Amino acid sequence: MTPDAGELNALLGRVAQERDRAAFASLFGHFAPRVKAYLLRMGAAPALAEDLAQEALLSLWRKAHLFDPAKASAATWLFTIARNLRIDAIRREKRPELDPDDFLPQPEAAADDGLALADEENRLRAALKDLPLDQIQVVELSFFADKPHSEIAKELGIPLGTVKSRLRLAMARLKRVLGEAE
Amino acid sequence: MIRHHHRDTKGIAHHPSDALLLAYAAGGADEAVSLIVATHMAYCESCRARASQLEALGGSLLQDLPPAPMSGDALQSVLTRLDAIQPVERRVRPASRDGTPQVLRDYIGGDLSEVRWRQVGPNLSYVPLFRRGPVTARLLRGVAGAETGAHRHAGEEYTLVLKGGFSDVTGSYAPGDLQVMEGDMRHNPVADRSEDCINLAVTTGPLKFESLVHKIVAPLFGF
Repeated sequence: MTPDAGELNALLGRVAQERDRAAFASLFGHFAPRVKAYLLRMGAAPALAEDLAQEALLSLWRKAHLFDPAKASAATWLFTIARNLRIDAIRREKRPELDPDDFLPQPEAAADDGLALADEENRLRAALKDLPLDQIQVVELSFFADKPHSEIAKELGIPLGTVKSRLRLAMARLKRVLGEAE
Repeated sequence: MIRHHHRDTKGIAHHPSDALLLAYAAGGADEAVSLIVATHMAYCESCRARASQLEALGGSLLQDLPPAPMSGDALQSVLTRLDAIQPVERRVRPASRDGTPQVLRDYIGGDLSEVRWRQVGPNLSYVPLFRRGPVTARLLRGVAGAETGAHRHAGEEYTLVLKGGFSDVTGSYAPGDLQVMEGDMRHNPVADRSEDCINLAVTTGPLKFESLVHKIVAPLFGF
């Protein structure tokens, strides 16, 4: 059975606190094939996608104690790990990352933020599926095509302005969904 | 710790577009553009929040991807490697003395007040950061109150104010503000009178200056 966002967070917590190998194996079973699918979609060769998916999960083991459920869901965190591995390994560039010291002082996250985020993720997924197909397409291509928006426009045979306006509509819709529950 | 570079979020008038933030969050933006967006976010709490939401979108898409089966011995081979892995420490970087955002310090190799400027015209100096193909990241400094030279672009030009400010036909820009000029728009930025204007600038193609001096000098410096 597919674990939900709350269960994935709990598994990650057990890896962080107890170095729990069974929890790690569950996370591997869930995330490694998805990270591999992501890398294949980005154009990685199958052997490289397999290697980097394993690397992503090793990164999870190495960094689990840095995971903050108040800031992101486990899936979002894994996405950022996979994204950065890909930029590093395939594009051979660095990913400029904000330092925590670059942040304005922020109010302490409320204790139930992890749950609120898991709920937010569920709403986002539902809202994504409700978007018109042409909007889903540009959002997906933004994440999975590894191409600038101008290239995406060429590929779809539509003007760049249309790509941007579809993205804007999609973002407005998703923002409303996230905003509504606040 | 005093954070000179932080402005009240309400003070920032010019933000990256949704499409640009999405390209940053998705990892499709190249390194130079990512650097300028990340540096903007050091000043801008609301864009940090928007970028987190867009990363959450990436997480949602990852969850819904049809899984690609791993090879049969993948889990076993990863499990045997776990014991050799030490948990990483969070990277602690030396504090900036003048409030330069850390993400930018990584590329400057220190603080903004320590860089060595190179003169490129009577009113303009610069520090090259890096170049990847046609995409170039630099620091630019315009003399207080001076024009930096009317120009058009072959590609896009991204400008983030770090110190001082400037104005042109599109508006006024203060620290933390990001200006994005699309290809072939013309502008003639003028630095505010109060102090020299220091910007982080990313261009995706050569600038096309209008004045003869700039036309001759600029290519020598790789502009």
